[in-house]
Amino acid sequence: MLKKGDIALVILLVVAVIAGLAGIRFYRGGMKGDRIAVIKQENKVIREINLDEVQEAERLSLTGDYNNIILIEKGRIRFEESDCPDLVCVHTGWLDKTGSFAACLPNKSLIMIKGEGEEVDGATY
Amino acid sequence: MSKNKKMVLLALFVAQALVLSIVESFIPVPVGIPGVKLGLANIITMVVIMFFGLKEGLVVVIIRCLLSSLFAGGPMIFLFSVAGGVLSALVMYFLHSRLSRLFSTIGISIAGAVAHNIGQILIALVTLQTLSVLSYLPVLMISGIIMGCFVGLCSMFLSRTLKKLNILN
Repeated sequence: MLKKGDIALVILLVVAVIAGLAGIRFYRGGMKGDRIAVIKQENKVIREINLDEVQEAERLSLTGDYNNIILIEKGRIRFEESDCPDLVCVHTGWLDKTGSFAACLPNKSLIMIKGEGEEVDGATY
Repeated sequence: MSKNKKMVLLALFVAQALVLSIVESFIPVPVGIPGVKLGLANIITMVVIMFFGLKEGLVVVIIRCLLSSLFAGGPMIFLFSVAGGVLSALVMYFLHSRLSRLFSTIGISIAGAVAHNIGQILIALVTLQTLSVLSYLPVLMISGIIMGCFVGLCSMFLSRTLKKLNILN
């Protein structure tokens, strides 16, 4: 039933997954300082917020092909509501770690957390 | 096989793939990772590639993506599913036609599932223009390996039964 190639393929993929996860952990570990949330839509930066300095919770709405409501609290940010069909953005939940991101592809919107002083270009191209 | 019979059979496969992709949207995946899907419609892609070929497989994938994004989704969702679906069909066809000596249906289907993940991440990279999207790939690949295995088993049983029934000759 199973052939040689199957086992080799699975081993190769598992190694790739482990290497990928380790690489991400290493990359994120190198980020220090305040957490800056970046809100982008259609590849344009809408806002940058220092999450560690947020005093009061705030809601931001993004209008495009669909509508997203983004909730910003001290130290964390999330897509709170959306009228897009798959709701992947809302289900991603809270972001609070440097390097994490959530995206609403139907609305081409993205929120991500970068380290202080880090260029957005460091994580984008 | 006559042209008409082939058309009817392919239409049936499209319908089945569509039903599977709608049904799987009702099944919650209890892993807490957004965007992870079962990929049951890949059973049909796999079987069509095994019994017909690449052209037919691609036709079934593209029509299924088009219809399912009409039912739920939109142009972005279509782009996403079609990129994953086409890349996965190409990889599965290549392994099935050239390397089936090395790979069983299960291995081919795992490769197809991971190719599906990669296709979607590529589209996400282009639309969001952020490399952080790549950090999502390992997580998606884990689900791809597990579901690819399941889909491979299903395709194997389905193709055996179809062979016995002799309706695809």
